[in-house]
Amino acid sequence: MVNIHDFNQIEEYVYEIPASFREDMRVPARFYADAVLLEGIKNDRSLEQLVNTATLPGAVKYALAMPDIHQGYGFPIGGVVATELPDGVISPGGVGYDINCGVRLLATRLEQEEINPYLDILASSIYANCPSGVGQGGHVKLKSGELDRLLELGSTWALKRGFATEADLERTEENGCLEGADAGKVSPRAKDRGKGQVGTLGAGNHFIEIDVVDRVLDETAAGRMGLFENQIVVQIHCGSRGLGHQVCSDYVKRFQKSIHRYGLNLPDRELVCAPLSSPEGRDYLAAMKGAANYAFANRQVLAGHIRHSFEQTLAGKVRHHQLYQIYDIAHNMAKVETHIVDGRQLKLCVHRKGATRAFGPGSRELPAAYRAIGQPVLVPGSMGTESWVLVGTQNSMTQTFGSTCHGAGRSMSRKKAKKSVNGAGLRDQLESRGIHVRAGSMSGLAEEAPAAYKDVNRVVDVVHGAGIARKVARLTPVAVIKG
Amino acid sequence: MLNAARGMNSLMVPKHTPCSENQEKFVELEAMDSESLLVDWLSELAYWAEIEMLVFHKFKIEGVSSTHLRAIMYGTRVAQLEKHIKAVTYHNLQIVQTENGLTATVVFDV
Repeated sequence: MVNIHDFNQIEEYVYEIPASFREDMRVPARFYADAVLLEGIKNDRSLEQLVNTATLPGAVKYALAMPDIHQGYGFPIGGVVATELPDGVISPGGVGYDINCGVRLLATRLEQEEINPYLDILASSIYANCPSGVGQGGHVKLKSGELDRLLELGSTWALKRGFATEADLERTEENGCLEGADAGKVSPRAKDRGKGQVGTLGAGNHFIEIDVVDRVLDETAAGRMGLFENQIVVQIHCGSRGLGHQVCSDYVKRFQKSIHRYGLNLPDRELVCAPLSSPEGRDYLAAMKGAANYAFANRQVLAGHIRHSFEQTLAGKVRHHQLYQIYDIAHNMAKVETHIVDGRQLKLCVHRKGATRAFGPGSRELPAAYRAIGQPVLVPGSMGTESWVLVGTQNSMTQTFGSTCHGAGRSMSRKKAKKSVNGAGLRDQLESRGIHVRAGSMSGLAEEAPAAYKDVNRVVDVVHGAGIARKVARLTPVAVIKG
Repeated sequence: MLNAARGMNSLMVPKHTPCSENQEKFVELEAMDSESLLVDWLSELAYWAEIEMLVFHKFKIEGVSSTHLRAIMYGTRVAQLEKHIKAVTYHNLQIVQTENGLTATVVFDV
């Protein structure tokens, strides 16, 4: 248990648990919060989990947590840990079960008033065209061997199949394809789970949302992205579906056996890991990249379904019904990146579990259009609340290995949310605020009630205040589609 | 093992779903310890539920030890799953001997 006297406030929004707190810590643990978020953080075991991640072999500088931190499996959600190559470890728990769960933002040139008369039918069209919920298969039929190509090519596969444009790929993290993915390292069982789910939303906290840009705070960055006030945009939040979960499960199981061989002594079985230089570590990285590519392709196909829905509903009725991509980001991923740490250039494996890459201006990994403003960071709020578009900063490069928050962060378990919130009542409440709701399950809706989450505006205020991302625009929902 | 499967079924399948045994699958699992065996066993059930909407109600155990399980599972396809169990985790995983037998704690990712 971590108590208030175990950590020090070192800056306005930054707290540190020194490495002396527990014998097995290799580096200090740092987290970002304000006074209100801090109270919430103390209510679960997330800080203890953060301390556990500071014990990982090869961890450099500090183990970090973003202000949306909450309890996860092994790693806290909102956690960022960088381990040094070649012998630092990679941990499937540091990526999460839903590998490359992430967010895509598409934009129209439409203003809210133009779309209002068609919103209800548009929400229904998206709900019908984007398979969602438990057991719903996708519309995309893969030929023999095609899943392997999808795993190795990601969004490039989608481009070849006509689900993407070159511009979509250019505005996707890593261009929607992590190099080094190896379909041979993904188990037949994972492929079984993935082959029928391409272009599906799933259930849980995944959603498609139509939003209006209600406030622009950085005209230059917003202009560069093509965002303006009163504009209609669309968010897609989902990941690698059953395939990613199976890859994580397979390697958590395999690593349980190998940790003893590498002499690793861990405080939590969900933290199992292997040196990046080991056969197990290399295999997991290659399989994880395959699952990440699956997630990029999945969001790309969903984007195609949403474009079709806009065409179906709005063609001939409004001036422009086309959707163009702003950006697509991952928030559950481990990536090999180069960072400057204490004046030394190091090759690191940066685990971001419920955290978003937030590279600052000038980073060569960014598309030319965004190199001057920094990487777009997409932070979805809870259902019915605001979401944010931010950009990465130079501070995020020096403070957090180029990382920032990923969302609101849960403050209540699903079980508790289901007990305290009535799904149908919540739907009526959202509808009365002018938000069109399409949901496959009322209990699923209750689990995702805004009351079950932290205040996303407060989370964003902290990362903005700490300088590890900068506000660009705020979005408010007008239609929510859930499984 | 059987009670853990029943507990998991109670989350996945709506109450009063008719139980028949018109489908059968064979399973053989080998794990490093009893906790891992429990995770593997429940993961097997979650896999069939996701892939074929197949839920098993009856089990014929052909061999069992703390690290090995061999069984035939009998069940039926359901039209709808109440809860999609995406993964069986090691988080807070525990098997404890009590006066009434073994008590297991398993956390599912949903």
